Amino acid sequence: MEKIKQNPLVKKVGFNRIVLIGVLILMYLAFGLLTGGSFFGTSRIMNTLNYVYFLGFLSLGVTFVIATGGIDFSIGPVMFCCSLVSGYSLMTYGVPMGLSLVMSILIGVAFGVFNGYLVAYWKVPPFIVSMASMNIAKGIAAVFTKTQSVSWPQADGEGGWYRHIVSYNGFPVGLVIFLAASVVCAVILNKTKWGRYILCLGSNKEAVRLSGVNVKRWEMLAYIICGTLVGIASVFFVATYTTVQPGYGDQYNNEAIAGCVMGGTSMAGGLASISGTVIGVIIISLLQQGILALGFTKEYQYIITGLIVIAAVYSDVSARRRKN
Amino acid sequence: MGDIILTMKDIDKSFPGVHALDHVDLEVRKGEVLALMGENGAGKSTLMKVLTGIYKKDSGTITYEGKEVEFKNTREAQDAGIVIVHQELNMLGHLTVAQNLFIGREFKKGIKIDDKKMNEEAKKLFDRLHVDIDPKEKMSNLTVGKQQMCEIAKAVSFDAKVIIFDEPSAALTESEIEEMFKIIRDLREKDIAMVYISHRMDEIKVITDRVTVMRDGSYVGTLITKDCTKEDIINMMVGRVIYEEPKVESAVPKDAPVVLKVEHLNAGKMVQDVSFELHKGEILGFSGLMGAGRTETARALFGADPKESGDIYINGEKVTINNPQDAVRCGIGYLSEDRKRYGIVVQKSVAENTTMASMKNFTNGIFINKKKEREVAEKYVEALATKTPNVDQLVVNLSGGNQQKVVIAKWLTRDCDILIFDEPTRGIDVGAKNEIYKLMNKLVAEGKSIIMISSEMTEILRMSDRVVVMCEGKKTGELDISEAKQETIMNLATREIE
Amino acid sequence: MSKKKTFLGLKGREAMVLGIIIAMVVLFSILSPTFRTYPTVVSVLDNSYYITLMALGVTFPLITGGVDLSIGTGLVSYALIGGYLIVHKGVPVGVGILACIGVGVLIGVFNGVLIAIMDLPPFLATLCTCMITRGLGPALCGGFGVSWPSAISEQGAFRKVFKFISANGTVIPIGIVLMVVLVIVMSFVLDHTRIGRYIIAIGSNKEATKLAGVNVKFYHMLAYIISGLFAGLAGVAYAATYATIYPGAGAGFELDAIGGAIVGGVSATGGVGTILGTFFGVFVICLMKVGLPFIGLQANWQQIFTGIVLIAAVLIDVVKKKK
Repeated sequence: MEKIKQNPLVKKVGFNRIVLIGVLILMYLAFGLLTGGSFFGTSRIMNTLNYVYFLGFLSLGVTFVIATGGIDFSIGPVMFCCSLVSGYSLMTYGVPMGLSLVMSILIGVAFGVFNGYLVAYWKVPPFIVSMASMNIAKGIAAVFTKTQSVSWPQADGEGGWYRHIVSYNGFPVGLVIFLAASVVCAVILNKTKWGRYILCLGSNKEAVRLSGVNVKRWEMLAYIICGTLVGIASVFFVATYTTVQPGYGDQYNNEAIAGCVMGGTSMAGGLASISGTVIGVIIISLLQQGILALGFTKEYQYIITGLIVIAAVYSDVSARRRKN
Repeated sequence: MGDIILTMKDIDKSFPGVHALDHVDLEVRKGEVLALMGENGAGKSTLMKVLTGIYKKDSGTITYEGKEVEFKNTREAQDAGIVIVHQELNMLGHLTVAQNLFIGREFKKGIKIDDKKMNEEAKKLFDRLHVDIDPKEKMSNLTVGKQQMCEIAKAVSFDAKVIIFDEPSAALTESEIEEMFKIIRDLREKDIAMVYISHRMDEIKVITDRVTVMRDGSYVGTLITKDCTKEDIINMMVGRVIYEEPKVESAVPKDAPVVLKVEHLNAGKMVQDVSFELHKGEILGFSGLMGAGRTETARALFGADPKESGDIYINGEKVTINNPQDAVRCGIGYLSEDRKRYGIVVQKSVAENTTMASMKNFTNGIFINKKKEREVAEKYVEALATKTPNVDQLVVNLSGGNQQKVVIAKWLTRDCDILIFDEPTRGIDVGAKNEIYKLMNKLVAEGKSIIMISSEMTEILRMSDRVVVMCEGKKTGELDISEAKQETIMNLATREIE
Repeated sequence: MSKKKTFLGLKGREAMVLGIIIAMVVLFSILSPTFRTYPTVVSVLDNSYYITLMALGVTFPLITGGVDLSIGTGLVSYALIGGYLIVHKGVPVGVGILACIGVGVLIGVFNGVLIAIMDLPPFLATLCTCMITRGLGPALCGGFGVSWPSAISEQGAFRKVFKFISANGTVIPIGIVLMVVLVIVMSFVLDHTRIGRYIIAIGSNKEATKLAGVNVKFYHMLAYIISGLFAGLAGVAYAATYATIYPGAGAGFELDAIGGAIVGGVSATGGVGTILGTFFGVFVICLMKVGLPFIGLQANWQQIFTGIVLIAAVLIDVVKKKK
């Protein structure tokens, strides 16, 4: 085992990443065999990818927040709030499509600013801010849409061009955009001052502050990045599924956090891996498809995802304990 | 001195990678105060943790009151009469004093906790110890000294036969220490055995009967306190004679320009109307007892904590410092006494820590120039002789002295001209200490100016060009090194303030 | 500080929250004539029971410095399971009620193990159990809604514990009496027994409590078990108040309860809180829930307000601490 870990190639790619990819492949094969091969069809892959897009953006976003040692479990409902408010404006008030999409993202940013400001500048515990934001997001969405679901235009309808960001003539544009966004996130996290400060303050905020760094600003930034990505996630969600219902979105919190924690981002902060998050999200998405393919209902998705997050967090906690 | 009550023999304990206790012996008698001394990391606390069941020993025997024992946890040790008064206070701020005293063994009336009886018992206990504390007061409202008294009272209330004091004076004021000594003498009369862990030589001389010295996890020897000198003990602790030559005269010219002037600085109770000047190229020592307000002064000056009033001048120009960012912009760097919490980001690399305070110089707008970062980090690793395999090493894997060097490198990278060293050698072994001293001398020779807060008299006398003495939040004196003697400083540090 | 008694022997925060309740009642009554009628009073109370029960329970994890997010989806799940057993498996109502409470306790134990023994962060662990319980009820009961026996049926007697309807149709919301009794009992548990004392101690300084020889893991776990138990009771109250229980409901219920507790003065960082405060805090939330439509606002505004009130309540503590 140790020998494998010391292999230069393994070291370069990262042992954890190899394990994750292994899990992904095994899972895919297992689902394929259990369903008698029907899982190997392209439609399952497309379904999985569709799920990866919006969930991936959520997960990328929450990775930044968790890197600071915080948490945000308002992301699911906030994503729905973005889609609902801008979608309702689009369909009811005739706001142009382009503007609606921008609005989606801006609402996400606004929640990011709100959450970040309260956590960084007012030191409100992140879980309280998450609860409040979740409530406010659901409330705003419900009040704005008068508790009605919103259907964005179909691909052939007026303004349907926006759906091409997911797929254009069968080509998975969404995958390209998502991977490009992941690269950008990885660069931000690992190569820029922003990421450096976010990771360092997640490790030891006080030491960074006493180095003369404006930690509040950088902590808030992590939430704003998260909010922006949640906004983008909402665009991908409607571009994939078109219909959004108020009052929902909670389950995506768990799935997004699951992808992030599985990918090796530590809940204690200071340690985050974008590539890990990407693989983690693909695993989670595949799992959701697999559970359905095996004939289970979405209830089982909830239960299994819940258990997986517990397992992932526990391995993080116990790894840290062993280190100390 | 009475009979032997507790014997620890051949105690051995290893942690992964560390042989923490190497066949250590210890013997405690009834009615004595036994000092347990040794440098940081000598294994004193570990030994006491083995005794009280916090750690499990690998081998060896513990004999208590004639029987061999092995406690599984502190509770069992308590029940048998062995109690620790901890270094870090174990208070429950939201509960009252009485509730704290009796936590884990409340008086009960049926299923109801009898708070009334607990308050009465606490009152009785305090009366017996001649301490004035209201049992109904919330713990968080007490001063640190009073909280310490509660800890001692708690130990006494266990009908303890052996009480272990783990650096009890660290946070106490002079008068509080006196009060504590009174209690300790009282307990000695009652035939209670006490183990007193402390670094303060003067306290050891005053209060203890025998001294057991440990070094690097091994037992070195035991001396009768009144028959030995400080040097004897120190020699046993370090294993060789260290002779630290005090500075006789400052090399800094009297007319050296003033780089930092602080006037009437006020920040809470711990910093009252503090004024001083720092000249270019000098080391200004800040002496005083623990809790004199030196660290608080430094933190207020640095903007780490809010201040109420006070003017700060850098090179004659008035500046506003509201937060660490302002201070760093003014060229001030702060090296905290608690490096792990305030100095370094332990889970990050040497290079990342080195450039922490000066990211601006290492980014081209957006991206970090990692090549430049490495070069600078390597430069300082070399210049400061930091022992690390490479600059990608995580700081957590370095020793205390080398961590301190990384913090120094951080501020040098930022090109700070004024450095505040708060207890620069705490938790650093003797060899590395000397290196840090050399480094500080080199820094001032290069024209930097240093404020050095230190609780070690020898350090103050050896390093400082001038000495500011503080006591209970006030500056009580300022001495040139030529007139600074241990006695004069001590006098100023303990001056009664009415 | 805490000794300061101000109004009717209440602590500062409790008096303040009571003041807010009175102000809200007065405001709603002035703005809406229908609000100040007896049926409205009954309706406010009816809607408050399950939230009150959740809040009483969740106060304990909150005081340890943790949180229990699983109570909302949990209570619906427990009520589904209990109802399913009664309606589809023919067990007596008493057994159904016990099952409902029992599953709650089990989930409490599960949370306790995750948090106290495996050391997972509470909000994350219970966020997971929140999802698990959301799936659990429907998964076990086939994903359909369930109606517990109605009040008129013989088996529906349990509903009368919360709302007594006499022969001539007079409605007496006696559930409130039950709540008051439980408030007194749990106040006693929190303030005068070891359980409460150690739970406060854990929220104050877990390490120190451990060093004092307290079985910290057990009491830490107990906080979550109490929370689970009360979520189970809340499930019964929910089943007694509402005609049908739908799978998938319950997400967000926990926020009303946690919000109520925090408004009532329970500290978000642990160590501080009173049962009476929680009780009052819950009423602020319930009044918003029921009252807003009376002054012409959609019920959903309540969610937004709850969020804002939650932040405001914590900010009060933050600002106070700064001083």
